[in-house]
Amino acid sequence: MRICRIRIKNFATFKLLDIRTDKSIVVVGENKVGKSNLIRALQLVLDPSLSDRDRQLGLEHFWDGLGDEKLGATVEISVWLTDFDQNPNLVATLADCIVAPGPPLRARLTYRFQPKTSLEELPPRSLADYEFVIFGGTDEDNTFTSTQRRQIPLDVQGALRDAEKDLSTWRRSPLRPMIEELTSELDDDAREEIQGLIAEAQIELADRDEVVRVAERIGGRLTQIVGSSHTVPIKLGLAPTGVDTLLRGLRILIDQGVRGIGDASLGTANLIFLALKSLELDRLVAEGERSHTFFAIEEPEAHLHPHVQRLVYRYFLANEIVVDQNPTDLTTILTTHSPHIASVAPIKSIVLLRYDQNQQATVGTSTARVSLSRTDKDDLQRYIDVTRGELFFAQGIIFVEGDAERFLLPAFASALGIELDMLGVSVCSVSGTNFTPYIKLVAENSLSIPYVIITDLDPVPGKRPLARKRIESILSVTENLDFSTMSHADVFEEAETCGCFVNDDTLEVELFLAGLGPAMKEILLSERNLQRATIARIDGWIANPGSLDVNYLLELIERIGKGRFAQALASYVTAAVCPTYIRRAIERIRDELA
Amino acid sequence: MSSHNSSSRYLAMSRELHDNLGQWQAYESTGHCIVLAGPGSGKTKTLALKLARILAEDVSAPRGVACITFSQECSRELVRRLDAIGIKESSRLFIGTVHGFCLRHLLVPYSRLANLGLPHPIEVSTIQQNRAVFEAVSVQLYGARNSYRQHDVDNHRRACFDRQSPKWQSEPELSELAEAYERELHRRGLIDYEDLVLYGQRLVTQHSWVLPIIRAKFPVLAIDEYQDLGVGLHQIVQRLAFNGGVRLFAVGDADQSVYGFNGADSSLLLELAARPDVQCVRLSINYRCANEIIDAAEIALGEARGYRSSNVARVAQVEIIHRPLGIADQARYAVEDLIPHVLSNTPGRQLGDIAVLYRNAEIGDLVAGSAQSVGLNFIRIDNAAPYRKCAVVSWIEDCAAWCSGGWTAAQPKLGGLIGRWCRFHSARLSDTERHHEARMLARFLWDRRGNGDASEFLAALRSELLDVLLSSNRTLNDQRIQVDAMSRALSPGGVLVGLDLVRLGGRDGAPNQLNLLTFHSAKGCEYKVVIILGLDEGVFPWSNETDDELQESRRLFYVALTRACDEVHLIYSGWSANRFGRRFDNGMSRFLKDLISL
Repeated sequence: MRICRIRIKNFATFKLLDIRTDKSIVVVGENKVGKSNLIRALQLVLDPSLSDRDRQLGLEHFWDGLGDEKLGATVEISVWLTDFDQNPNLVATLADCIVAPGPPLRARLTYRFQPKTSLEELPPRSLADYEFVIFGGTDEDNTFTSTQRRQIPLDVQGALRDAEKDLSTWRRSPLRPMIEELTSELDDDAREEIQGLIAEAQIELADRDEVVRVAERIGGRLTQIVGSSHTVPIKLGLAPTGVDTLLRGLRILIDQGVRGIGDASLGTANLIFLALKSLELDRLVAEGERSHTFFAIEEPEAHLHPHVQRLVYRYFLANEIVVDQNPTDLTTILTTHSPHIASVAPIKSIVLLRYDQNQQATVGTSTARVSLSRTDKDDLQRYIDVTRGELFFAQGIIFVEGDAERFLLPAFASALGIELDMLGVSVCSVSGTNFTPYIKLVAENSLSIPYVIITDLDPVPGKRPLARKRIESILSVTENLDFSTMSHADVFEEAETCGCFVNDDTLEVELFLAGLGPAMKEILLSERNLQRATIARIDGWIANPGSLDVNYLLELIERIGKGRFAQALASYVTAAVCPTYIRRAIERIRDELA
Repeated sequence: MSSHNSSSRYLAMSRELHDNLGQWQAYESTGHCIVLAGPGSGKTKTLALKLARILAEDVSAPRGVACITFSQECSRELVRRLDAIGIKESSRLFIGTVHGFCLRHLLVPYSRLANLGLPHPIEVSTIQQNRAVFEAVSVQLYGARNSYRQHDVDNHRRACFDRQSPKWQSEPELSELAEAYERELHRRGLIDYEDLVLYGQRLVTQHSWVLPIIRAKFPVLAIDEYQDLGVGLHQIVQRLAFNGGVRLFAVGDADQSVYGFNGADSSLLLELAARPDVQCVRLSINYRCANEIIDAAEIALGEARGYRSSNVARVAQVEIIHRPLGIADQARYAVEDLIPHVLSNTPGRQLGDIAVLYRNAEIGDLVAGSAQSVGLNFIRIDNAAPYRKCAVVSWIEDCAAWCSGGWTAAQPKLGGLIGRWCRFHSARLSDTERHHEARMLARFLWDRRGNGDASEFLAALRSELLDVLLSSNRTLNDQRIQVDAMSRALSPGGVLVGLDLVRLGGRDGAPNQLNLLTFHSAKGCEYKVVIILGLDEGVFPWSNETDDELQESRRLFYVALTRACDEVHLIYSGWSANRFGRRFDNGMSRFLKDLISL
């Protein structure tokens, strides 16, 4: 089962959030944007451990933008569930909550905090006139009870959890059920054997002269104080002797059993805690106490080394890939502002939260409904992993073909007085010309991150320039156009209105023609020994740009490597030599973010 | 941590089934199972224990079992039996009528998703509303003097589920009237009882996505008194069981099918039992009747079933009595001579052990009159009863029983009363609401412990709790009418005026009350002594019965005879009079004649 849609109205930082979600959910956003509020909202619907009092909200839980109109407003949180057709327990639990027969079946659960119905039309005077309902489907009278919630509970691991304390409290320890299981499985022979071993060790220790002497000293002082008739006989020994009590005393030890968990680093304790928790979730589902678990971990980056973060969350998030984990009965929900975690998140799991100044509210976007081919998905996943999820944290994006643009774009922007870093704009190289999957990911109907694209025309003598098909593919993501009757000029003009900037040839030619010829010559000379004739040819090009032999120029540059060449060229960049299409692209992204 | 709502008490009790092969086979069944159960064969006990076992061993939470019974009374009896083995009704265990099942588990959750075209929210009409709609529509269509009766239209709707079928089209005027009636009912935002089954059947037939949902909720479907349930339920059952993979456990006896006039068809049960993928089990030991009575009953039925009494040593009496002065004399004789005799000749016998059975309420009036004139306490269960039993009035009676002494012995249990009260609410209650309702009801009942005037009790119950519910929950409209009837009967001028709580609570039959019942209402009951009146040709059977009707009357007689454990007294006059006083000398009932001739 999975959550396929979440809708939040008037709660906390949310005025109206309506997002689609996939198997796992990774909530990415800056601090204070409302990541925890999203988890809290899910708890109001799903968490069986929340009390009725917890569900009776305060005014501080209403969306702040309501101002004086909080009293009278209704807070509503709906969760749509799907892909549970194969599990009869889930179907039975959700049978009365179905809102679409599918297939797959879709169910809806709603928490609503509203003025009491008994008020009828009267306005509520205070929150005492408010009540909450949790119902399935569309009928408010169809209460979703705590018994039903216990079948599909949400377990939340808070951000600043004291794992060590939880582990040392028997009642709360996730170790407890495992030890209880162990205790119940021991047969009489095993118990007797353990009992014998302990008794032996007890005698061994307690009967040593040194130990006996200490006991006698204590006993002696007792007799001095209260006399022999009130004295209880004193012996020293290992405290518990019953097998059950002994087993309860089992603790997790680390470093070959030398140290207890209390001596472990916070990170290690957290890690062990998560391992135990994960085992416990398996057990609860296996024993039929619940049919599905929503496991929410808030900011798991706390106390964990980046490498470990990636490993741990790759494990939890990989549940949807690894079959033997019984992928369908656990849904992992993470909130994070760690690029390390975002970078291992499945591409479709991302929920991006942003604060919208105009609406005075947090808005959200998600990748759940992006349609990607298997290869595109793998490519993107790899890219995001390598770039540490940079994409998800960008305010705006300039997509470019390769490293050359990646080095030069920030330099041009800076020369134009536009600081990309300050604007939060990332320059992302797609290492080629396959922009489409990236655009799908950030387009309006997905993550909705403002972007521009810079690409080469790549003319082919006697044929359509390569950019033509590329642009058609990119535009098809967002526009519904019939290209068959359009000229190249029309297509590229249309492209520019969509933030897609095409030059007249290739990058290096554009740079040369824009006036970077002398700088390029200098770099070529410093990197290679050029023959006199070659130098003369370059000088000729500089003097008369119309004579530029494009292929030969590119050949010269490729001897050094385009990236390396661009890196060197970046230091010669000024506003005056910025090719027009690059300037327009940079200005456009600046304007969009303004 | 896991909560058990099943008790292991059934394990001990199931040992009692061990010596009865049929019962044990039914108890051990693992697939579709049809139990053909003769009279007194312990079918309800077998059903209850099987349900307990399924809940404990085969079906685990959150999935459950649905059990469909013929009437509210049957549901209530089953709930009592299950309560005795420690099983409570819960969201995992549905017990109710086919109408309740269709409403709660088919139409309320899915009618809109399937676009069945029913009004929303679903509101079940009362009999009065149906009558008003029917009259308006039939007058509009066929004029004020038309001869169409609502019963015929309802039967037509019950009999033909497929509106494209030749059978539906073969009666164009009736079909048109039926369709106009339905349209007008729906236009007024109402649906009636026939609609519940009709649309329930349409939902499961035309929308296969519902099947896995029902199967997930109720992997096992149990049905009691299968022979009395109509073709609608039969089609729903077939669809759920043989297309939807729901396991079926049905109990019934074709010989006891007496609701043909209501659309029931005993052949449906036999059709089901003959399927190769169904295990058919026969219960043939009769724990109720002595062999003499079984023999007489089988002769009356005209079929040798080979049922045997569990106790061969028991001696029973089947007596035929001739009272030549007519039906009023039969009634007087029964009350004034026969009953005192029956009471005195067996020590320890009480009025409650005796039942007087008759075909229709007119004869009931005569018996009631005789009983009143000699000051005999009686309880009457027939159409002329002051109110009809339904879930809410049964619950009121049980509340009365609890207050008037039941609380000292937890008989009935307060928890059960609260649970039933909560389930009357149309919506599933949240925990908070449930606690609130439980507290209100518990306080109400606790404050009213002790015997008192039933009329005052009901008035208080209505004003403090019940009326709010009845006015808010439209699905209870029909039951509200019965509660009103109960109020009327208890108030000045009503037939039950002055009744106290003890007697209101004991209206299911108490040791000191003679039982007066029609043959139909006697179904499922058991009495030490049964007195049957009016066994005159022309009264039973009527003079113009068709072959099918005759067969059904014969089965009705069979049902009446098999209510008795020890004694049956059959009374006739040899003549009858119609309502204008004209005398017909048709002799004794042909059923009685068959009995005598052997």
